Amino acid sequence: MRILIVEDDTDTNQFIARGLTELGHQVVTSGDGRDGLFHATDGGFDAMVVDRMLPGLDGLSLVKALRAAGNSTPVLMLTAVSGIADRVEGLEGGADDYLVKPFAFTELAARLHALGRRPSAAAEPSRLVAGDIELDLHRRTVVRAGRKIILQPREFALLAELMRHPGRIMTRTMLLERVWDFDFDPKTNIVETHLSRLRSKLNAGFDSDPIETVRGAGYLIRDGG
Amino acid sequence: MKRWWRGTFGLVAAVALGFALATLVIGAVAFETTHEALELQLDHRVAIETQALIDEGQDGHEGVAAAIRRREAASSTASLGYRLVDAQNRPIAGSLSTIVPPKPGYVELLPYKSNGEERIAQSLTTVLPGNYRLLVAADRAAIDEMDRRFILLFLGAFGAMLLLGIGAAWLVGIVTRRRLARIDHTAAAIIAGDLSRRVPLTGSGDEFDGVATTLNRMLDRIAGLMENLRQVSSDVAHDLRTPLTRLQNRLDEALRERDSELQREAIEAAASEASELLEVFSALLRIAEVEGMAARAHFQTVNMSAVVADVVEAFRPAMESSGHQLVSRISPGLTLSGDRRLLQQMLTNLLDNAAQHTPQGTMVHLDLESTHDCIRLAVTDDGPGVSEKEAPELFNRFARVDPSRSTPGHGLGLAMVAAIVAVHSGRATIAPRPGFGVYIEF
Repeated sequence: MRILIVEDDTDTNQFIARGLTELGHQVVTSGDGRDGLFHATDGGFDAMVVDRMLPGLDGLSLVKALRAAGNSTPVLMLTAVSGIADRVEGLEGGADDYLVKPFAFTELAARLHALGRRPSAAAEPSRLVAGDIELDLHRRTVVRAGRKIILQPREFALLAELMRHPGRIMTRTMLLERVWDFDFDPKTNIVETHLSRLRSKLNAGFDSDPIETVRGAGYLIRDGG
Repeated sequence: MKRWWRGTFGLVAAVALGFALATLVIGAVAFETTHEALELQLDHRVAIETQALIDEGQDGHEGVAAAIRRREAASSTASLGYRLVDAQNRPIAGSLSTIVPPKPGYVELLPYKSNGEERIAQSLTTVLPGNYRLLVAADRAAIDEMDRRFILLFLGAFGAMLLLGIGAAWLVGIVTRRRLARIDHTAAAIIAGDLSRRVPLTGSGDEFDGVATTLNRMLDRIAGLMENLRQVSSDVAHDLRTPLTRLQNRLDEALRERDSELQREAIEAAASEASELLEVFSALLRIAEVEGMAARAHFQTVNMSAVVADVVEAFRPAMESSGHQLVSRISPGLTLSGDRRLLQQMLTNLLDNAAQHTPQGTMVHLDLESTHDCIRLAVTDDGPGVSEKEAPELFNRFARVDPSRSTPGHGLGLAMVAAIVAVHSGRATIAPRPGFGVYIEF
């Protein structure tokens, strides 16, 4: 992916740029809001990482300006404060995802990957497929290799979220946000226990586990069979 | 001094001045009215006397002259004087030494001589048949005397009033200034660093004492917050020293280690210590953020029953797999004005607490119900509980029951709960043994 990083803190900027380059992405960096907006409107980016606080033009205004100009490049916004109200403001302002500093690089990478492939809500298909699993979002049914699988609503939501991004890592916090709508991390293993229940229902009578646990990062559902 | 009237003295002086001016106007009107009334009365008297003379003289000038002579002989009317002249101004009768005005009617100020003294009289001239003119005059001494007394009395009263007004202004100014000076001194002392100073009360319970009491309460509150802040920062420093030391030890280890695999392990351990530290900081920041929230600005109606049910549903599998039993009783359709995510976090922290700090087989109850005036949330368990002494401390940052701190957590969960409850204007209490329970009322 071609990724634009707009972040005035050189350390953070380099930390993100180096990590993303190592993952094989093309990276353009900018340390200033106006400069960042100039690059962004130049186009050709698959995703952007934008800091909330920037010299020249703050991150929120940058995204608003970008959206007003009809540019819909996915934006991951970074913020130094937990910003309980900030978060809502950022998402309403046109950012696609929000990440609070400090963050682990794996978290940023996972979120960026999920962003790059996120279809708009209107364009989302009603059927999701990953390997031999088919999930119907409208009828709320799951079928694995022709066998119907009965899931609890939360287990269904969890599977759907994984299947929206097949082959991509979903971190614990991403799943907590998207499945449970929690923007904080409980000490209790909510994600793990729900996932193990989902697994046992999904895998009953099958040899292979389509859900992979990536240690220290999160979970992914395998794309192919 | 600009705008002198804004000061107490100026204000009272201005009011006194206003009163004085009003009194002056009232005095002038009263004087004028009495004066006029007296003059009228005098006119009336003169007119009656003139009519009486004419009646007695039966329209002839001789009869009138005789009547004048009779009156002057009797000298019964000392304050009245008479003079009757013919067409050529020759005196016929009457001893009043003055010139009779040629035209009939009233003359207000008629000079005349009495025993060689110049005096002023009020007179009425009447024309009798044969062009004789009759003058009846009354001395104005009575009116003048009355005027003089009135003015004297008025000036005396007015002066006294003015003095009294100025005196009162001065006094009120002094009293106000002295009382304000006490508040001022206290404030100055606090600015200078003596935070324990309070405004002294006179005990009279007046307005000044009222203000002083409020100020003192405000100062107490600020002092409480300052103490809390001091406590928190020293706690933060204290509680972060241990993990920072561990972090440093791990990094030292990594530096000394030759074996690259072991070195990597040490660095990983250091990284995990660092991320734990960051977690503590995030939790502290979040608590501070919630506490300082310009809250209620973005509050919305939250279906509390649904939020509680969701959190319970999220926790149930994990709690069951850790050997706890989670029993919930949720009254449906309870709503409150708040921040849904914060309320979720509050519930999560409470259930985290129950799951982390109680042994296997513990039963955890979560009840949400409405009483007559509030929504009541209770998270209770039949675990070992805490002592009565420890219970109220637990809402403070870094407060933990286990002094050895071997159990997981940083002692920030309940502090966050307290902050969230406070921002929702709720009340939270902890019930000590047997078991452990947090009761929250919104």
